[in-house]
Amino acid sequence: MQLLGNILYDSVYHTTPILLCVLGGIFAYKANVLNIALEGFMLSASFVAMLVTQLTGSLVLAYLAAIASCLLLWLIFSYMGVTKRGNVIVIGLAINMLVPAVAGFVLQYMNTANLTVPWLNVADLKINIPLIQDIPLLGKMLSGHPITTYVAFLLIPVMGILMFRTRTGVYIRVVGENEDAANSLGLPTNRYKYIAVLIGALCAALAGVNLSLERMALFTNNMTAGRGFIAIAAIYCGRGAPLPSAMYAIVFGVARALAVNLGLFAGPAAALIDIVPYVVMTLVLTAVSVIKRRNNKLRGFQVG
Amino acid sequence: MSKTKWGPKLFNSILPVLLAFGIGAVVMLCIGQNPLEAYRIMLGKSLFTEKGFLNTLHYAAPLVLTGLAIAITFKANIFNMGVEGQLLFGGFFAGIVGAYVPIADPLLHKLLCFGVGMLCGVIFAMVPALLKAYFHVDQMVVTLTLNYAMAKVLEYLATGPFREAGSGYVCTPTVLDSAMFYRLGNSRITSFAFVALAIFLAVWFMMRRTKLGYEITAIGRNPEFAEATGVRVHRKILMLMAISGALSGIAGTGFMLSEKFKYTLTFSGNPGLGWDGMLIALLGRHSPAGILIAAVFYSALKTGADNINMYTTVPKEIVAVIQSVMILFLAVQFLNERYGLLDRLKARKEVETDAAAR
Repeated sequence: MQLLGNILYDSVYHTTPILLCVLGGIFAYKANVLNIALEGFMLSASFVAMLVTQLTGSLVLAYLAAIASCLLLWLIFSYMGVTKRGNVIVIGLAINMLVPAVAGFVLQYMNTANLTVPWLNVADLKINIPLIQDIPLLGKMLSGHPITTYVAFLLIPVMGILMFRTRTGVYIRVVGENEDAANSLGLPTNRYKYIAVLIGALCAALAGVNLSLERMALFTNNMTAGRGFIAIAAIYCGRGAPLPSAMYAIVFGVARALAVNLGLFAGPAAALIDIVPYVVMTLVLTAVSVIKRRNNKLRGFQVG
Repeated sequence: MSKTKWGPKLFNSILPVLLAFGIGAVVMLCIGQNPLEAYRIMLGKSLFTEKGFLNTLHYAAPLVLTGLAIAITFKANIFNMGVEGQLLFGGFFAGIVGAYVPIADPLLHKLLCFGVGMLCGVIFAMVPALLKAYFHVDQMVVTLTLNYAMAKVLEYLATGPFREAGSGYVCTPTVLDSAMFYRLGNSRITSFAFVALAIFLAVWFMMRRTKLGYEITAIGRNPEFAEATGVRVHRKILMLMAISGALSGIAGTGFMLSEKFKYTLTFSGNPGLGWDGMLIALLGRHSPAGILIAAVFYSALKTGADNINMYTTVPKEIVAVIQSVMILFLAVQFLNERYGLLDRLKARKEVETDAAAR
C-alpha cells in the first residue's frame, strides 16, 4: 500500500517536467522546427532559478530569471534556426551542450559542486488540497505537489484550445504543414515559427524551475538527465497532438516512477525501465509509418 | 555541377572558430583573467611541444573515425546521430572481450576485439537503418534518442552482470595485457593512431575515388533522382549506415584498448566522442581532409583543457563553452557556398546597373 502510494505520487511528480516540455514542444514540432534544445532550456532554467534564489533570496526573482534565461536561449535558437536557416538539430544539440558547459563553468568558478538553498524548505512549496488529501491513495497522489505541477496538468486543455481553436495555433500548423502555401497567403511564416518555439521555451522554463527549485531546492549539473529527449519521444508518439502527446508523457512519467521505486527491489535491472520511452517511440513511429504507406504503390525510394 | 569554391567553405569553417574563441576571451576577461595567456597555454602546449603534439594525435585518432562516421552519412543526408551510442556499444563489448576472452597472441586478441566492436556498432546502426530504408521512419530522431536507451542499457550491464567486484566505483574489469595497445615512447600515443590513419586513408579513397563515394554525394543531392538513374537507394542507405556504425565501433574499441582499458559510466567523456565527431564533421565540411585537420585541432583543444586546469586559474569548462559555441555557429552558413561572396556582389551590381539602365 505504501509502495503503491509512493508509485502513484512519484508518477505525478516525474510526469510534471516531461509533460511541460511536451506541451511546449508540440508547437515547435507542428511548425516543423523540431526543438531538441528543450533539454538545454530546462537545464538553464533549473540553474538560473537556483543561482538567483541563492544570490538574492527571492523566489519571484528566481522564476523571472529562469524565464529570462529561456527567452535568451529562445532568441539564439530562433535567430540561428529560423532567420538564418541553420540546421535546427545541430543548433539544438549545441544549446544542449552550451548550457551544461556554462553551468559547469560558473559552478567551478564558485568552487562548488552543486547549488543549495538551506533556508528554503521545499515542503512549504507544496500545496495540500483540503478534503482530497484525506482520500486514501487518490489523496496521496493528487495532493501535496508544488504549484507548477497543477499548472502543467491544467495546461493540457489550454494547449489543446491554443492549438486548435485560436488563429495563432492554426497558423502555426499551417506553416508547418506547407510553408510555401503559407507564404503565398502572405502569412509571416518566420514569426509563427518564433512564436511556436517561444511557447516551448516558456514551458521548459517552468519545467526547469520545477525540477530544481520546487522539488529539492538543489541544482546539480546535468540534472535534467535526458528528460527533454523523453519529451521529444512523447511528442513523436503523439504526432504533436496535445492530448495524445500528454498521454504518452504521463505513460513515460509512470515508467520513470516505476524505475525509481522498483530499484529498491530489482536492483540495477530496474534502470532498464528507463529505456521504455525510446523503445515505445521507435515502435510507434514504425507502426505509424507502416500504416501510412500500406497502400503505397509507387516504385523505388521516396523522400520522407 | 559547378566546381567547388574553397574560399567560402574555408571562411565558413574559420569564422565560427574565431567567433567562439572571441566569446571565450570575453568570458575570461569578465572573470579577470588574461585570455591570450590562457590560449597560449592551451594551444601552445598541445600543438607546439613534441610530447603535447603526440598526445594530441593520440586523442585525435578516435575523433577522426567518429568524424568520418558522421560525415559519410551527413553527406548522403541520412543523418546518423547515433554515433555516440554505436561507439559506446562497440567500446563496451570490445572491453568485455578484451577482459574475459583469454587469447595469448596480442594481434589475434586485438583483432577479435575490433571485430566484436565493429559488429556491435553495425548492429546498433542497422536498427534505424532498416526502419529508414523499409518503413521510412525518420532516422534522425530514432538514432538521436536511441543513444540514451543504449547508455541506460550499458549502465545496467556495467553495474549489474559485468561489474568488477573489487572496485570502489562502477566499472567493468580491465582488459587483459594482450588486448592493450602500449604507449610508444613517453607520450600517450599508441599504434592505434596508425590504425586510425590507415582507416582514414581507406575511407578517403572510398569517398573520392569509388562509385560508392559518388553515389553518396548523388543521394545527398537528390535521392529520387539517384534512384531514377539506377542507384539502389535502399541498399545504399543500409550500406552507409553499416559503414558509419563500423567506424563508430572501431573508434570505441580503439579508445577502449588504447586509453581507458575498462568501461566506466563516463567512458566517452562529456560531451562524448560521438558528439565531438559531429563538430569535427561540421568543421571539416564533410570532406576527409578537412576532418583530419579538424580532428587534430579539436583534440588540441581537448588536451589543452587539462593544461588550462593545471597552469591557470581559469575553470577548464571554458573549453566546453568554446566547443559548444563553435557548433552553434557552425550550424549556420554565413556565406553561401555555391555562390561565393564575389559572385553575389557581382550579381548585385548587375541588378543595380540593370535598374539604373531602366
